[in-house]
Amino acid sequence: MNYEIVCGIETHIELATRTKIFCSCTTEFGGEPNTHCCPVCTGQPGALPVLNQKVVEYAIKAGLALNCIINTKSHMDRKNYVYPDLPKAYQISQYDEPLCEKGYIELDSGKRIGITRIHIEEDAGKLIHERGYTYIDYNRSGIPLIEIVSEPDISSAEEAREYAEKLQLIMRYIGISDCKMQEGSMRCDVNLSLRKPGDPGLGVRTEIKNINSLSFIQKAVMAEAERQADILDSGGTVVQQTMRYDEATNTVTPMRDKENSEDYRYFPDPDILRFSIDEEKIEEIRKSLPELPFDKLKRYVNVLGLPESTARQISRYRKVAEFFEEALAEGAGVKNAANMIVGTIFATMDTEEEKELFDIRISPAQYAALIKLADEKKINIGVAQATLQKMLESGKSVEEFIKPEDLAGISDEELENLCREAIDANPKAAADVRNGKEKAINAMFGYIMKKTGGKADIRKAEVILRKLIGQ
Amino acid sequence: MRMGITELAVKLRKREISAVELAKAYIDAIEELNPVLNAYVHLTFDTALEAAGQADQLLKEGDAPLLCGIPMALKDNICTDGLPTTCCSKILNGFKPYYDATVWGKLKKQGAVLLGKTNMDEFAMGSTSETSCYGAPRNPRNTNYVTGGSSGGSAAAVCANLAVYSLGSDTGGSIRQPASFCGVVGLKPTYGAVSRYGLIAYGSSLDQIGPLTNSVKDAAIVFDAIKGVDNRDQTSVDFDYGSSLAEYLDRDIKGIRIGVAEEFFDGINPEIKSKIEEAIKLFERNGAVIENIRIPALKLALPVYYIIACAEASSNLGRYDGIRYGYRTPSYTSIDDMIVKTRSEGFGDEVKRRIMLGTYVLSSGYYDAYYKKACLIREEINREFDAVFEKCDVLVAPTAPSTAFPLNCRRTSPVEMYLSDICTVPVNIAGVPAISVPCGMDSNGLPIGMQIIGRRFGEATILQAAHFYEQNAGEVVSAYEGGARI
Amino acid sequence: MAISKTEIEKLAKLAKLSFSDEELERFTAEFDEIIAFADTINQYIEGGTEQIRSVGARIVSFDDLRPDEVKPSLPSEKILSNVEGHNGFFRVERSKK
Repeated sequence: MNYEIVCGIETHIELATRTKIFCSCTTEFGGEPNTHCCPVCTGQPGALPVLNQKVVEYAIKAGLALNCIINTKSHMDRKNYVYPDLPKAYQISQYDEPLCEKGYIELDSGKRIGITRIHIEEDAGKLIHERGYTYIDYNRSGIPLIEIVSEPDISSAEEAREYAEKLQLIMRYIGISDCKMQEGSMRCDVNLSLRKPGDPGLGVRTEIKNINSLSFIQKAVMAEAERQADILDSGGTVVQQTMRYDEATNTVTPMRDKENSEDYRYFPDPDILRFSIDEEKIEEIRKSLPELPFDKLKRYVNVLGLPESTARQISRYRKVAEFFEEALAEGAGVKNAANMIVGTIFATMDTEEEKELFDIRISPAQYAALIKLADEKKINIGVAQATLQKMLESGKSVEEFIKPEDLAGISDEELENLCREAIDANPKAAADVRNGKEKAINAMFGYIMKKTGGKADIRKAEVILRKLIGQ
Repeated sequence: MRMGITELAVKLRKREISAVELAKAYIDAIEELNPVLNAYVHLTFDTALEAAGQADQLLKEGDAPLLCGIPMALKDNICTDGLPTTCCSKILNGFKPYYDATVWGKLKKQGAVLLGKTNMDEFAMGSTSETSCYGAPRNPRNTNYVTGGSSGGSAAAVCANLAVYSLGSDTGGSIRQPASFCGVVGLKPTYGAVSRYGLIAYGSSLDQIGPLTNSVKDAAIVFDAIKGVDNRDQTSVDFDYGSSLAEYLDRDIKGIRIGVAEEFFDGINPEIKSKIEEAIKLFERNGAVIENIRIPALKLALPVYYIIACAEASSNLGRYDGIRYGYRTPSYTSIDDMIVKTRSEGFGDEVKRRIMLGTYVLSSGYYDAYYKKACLIREEINREFDAVFEKCDVLVAPTAPSTAFPLNCRRTSPVEMYLSDICTVPVNIAGVPAISVPCGMDSNGLPIGMQIIGRRFGEATILQAAHFYEQNAGEVVSAYEGGARI
Repeated sequence: MAISKTEIEKLAKLAKLSFSDEELERFTAEFDEIIAFADTINQYIEGGTEQIRSVGARIVSFDDLRPDEVKPSLPSEKILSNVEGHNGFFRVERSKK
């Protein structure tokens, strides 16, 4: 392709607060239609909106996690348009004083995608069109959303996907949303235009709305870039329009003309006062943020020495990372602790969700106790894995499965001493080995096995014996 | 003088009359007079008698609140759970909210007896109550004349003794002006003093609910009962008035500084002007200090008011689309068509004019020249009021530039009607409290109202000044003979 | 400043209102007067270029915002009490004769 892709993504994320943004109805998913409603979220005459503090807090967390400037004063605006899922005929949103601005997300390549702004707003109800009727359920009306707008810094389909993936990861990490694209708690709109390399201007852009999976984001960007490239190559001009991505055919097609160039007549909502938040409070919120996944990844690789793929798998899920770190704090060794999580524990989990929840029956302390045994070579890896599985199934501690007698109980130091003993006890055999009679080493093996009840690591012993004999 | 809340409360406690008997007296009067006056548009006699019965119970047990068992009325834009609330508009025909306005909840709890909902201009947009879909209410002083608006029904009911008190709403003068036209007392509280939850919105940054009564003391009693911060209305303010305003009405007004702004007297009917001046002299004779002041920005108050109120209204009224409540057009070709037809058939002309003006001043390309500019001028008006209240305790002004005029007056332009709000809208723009008290009659026997304006949360001062005037001015308006016989 | 018929039609579309031809004519004349009345604010020369960010000077602090505590919602029968609901949904026929 002879063109540069100039792409920006707008993401709507449902916040996981307990109540809606302007009323105290529950945000719980599901429920019979219109059972999570009140006069406020159904736009009844005389009802008034009251802003939810947690929504502001969560939006600030998102802003801090994305390196934004947080505005200490902010207000809500009315966005006026008519549609049956919008009970007041206006959406309360933010127009020219968003809560957060001017942040960025860093991609793996080190490139930063700018975040223009983050603002808070309310969601609309749900419409179902069926057999000549339109049915409306207002349970989702008033669900709090943040809208995150990126700068048009994305230059490829892969970057688009990575941006969305990292955004999702961060939002889950800081605990403000479960960001499940298929369930609609995270929705992306992609803006895309092309230009000739080196050209400072911007081409005509199209908007692809409501893409609901990471891979579709990547595919949609590719499909649209190709579509636009074809048009430009044949001398045509791209028409500015709203599009949708069709998964079945992997094509991007214009959306039926809804409200083109609607005049929203934004003005500050008189029912909601301007609000302020002081720097101290923002600091408090900043301190309450967990270490973010990329910082964890870096630390695992650079400080703990984990290989990147293992580090990535653990740092990706906040609960897993916390479990891992607590186990380390309890004395577990890094390598075994990491490998057994990624190997044995993850093998019992089929879905992303299970890994997110990481609801296992043993505590980090119990896990650490098992790992320590493996670290000290008192049990071998195979035994450790099998024992771990039993622990996960039963929730019982390692002592239930491995009795003191089972333990190899031989540390490296002990083994070395035993080898010296074995050599001292079998001087003739040692001399024979020195003279090339390999089989003579068996005498010392025998001695060691007798002394350890058959539990010694013979291969290791051999290495030590040969070294000692050789001296 | 007609019995007010305090006198009736005494009678009820002395068992000289029961709450049920009291309610029946008002019901009989309504049945007799309402067909002509059209003050009430929805009657709630069954629930009233039920409430009266319960009130009697409470009174028997002793320690009942002051307003227990007192028959009253609510403007038809105040939500009453299970009872019709239509803003006198076809588009809310049949609407019964399943929630109470906060103020009604408070009064209900005190044992108030609601006789019905009163007539008003459609969606509170008007100054005569003639845009009501139920036809205009008539001024009890002269039934060929308007009551004023938009709380015309509330004013007429109180004037004709068809309710002891009523609640109205005031966005640009809608409590005060009909109070002045009908010769009753009307109080518009400070913006934020009374919760707007359950008041069907017109101009959200201007609307306030307030009492219409036959005496200043009654207005204070009702205000005491309805005021207070509400966590369902973020614009309501947690202001500590310190004590009940009704208990501290008597005050020596010596030294009180009364501001008189010439801007309020521009183009006022000379009979009105002279009555106000008489009132000012009464204050002066009793020790008040009169200050002549200027509030230049008031010249632009009217267009500023209409721009802001209509902008907010155009947005507030967007929700009336026939989907969740109210009127829905019977035939249409698409949902969009349904919405357009419902609104076009359901709204009256004045409402449509104001929605269109509001849409215009907010629309892209016009926002800066109209809405934004109006907001900036509003801030200037507020600054001028703040400065004025450094020098004055209250301002005295006419409530309206004229007295009531005949019904079905032919007007050449809608703007003519807007001009009658000139004395009242500045108060809403600044969010300060104001009370209208009768201060005389014109040569046709129609009442004249005087407005006393205070600083924000200065209700105590304006009530005291108004009460003083009322106690010392003698009978300024002839008594209305009619209504409930107790 | 006389307002054109096209502009009024545009506004009516935004406001979801429709006017018959005679209504439109009458309305346009009235609207012209109302706009002229609104135009009188042009006498005011504004100072700065500040955007309007709030109504009034009052600012609420973050600490005073509503706590995130669930309160029971109303049953759907109440929510639907002013229309004919259908299995708990609001329902509108997409076209009706």
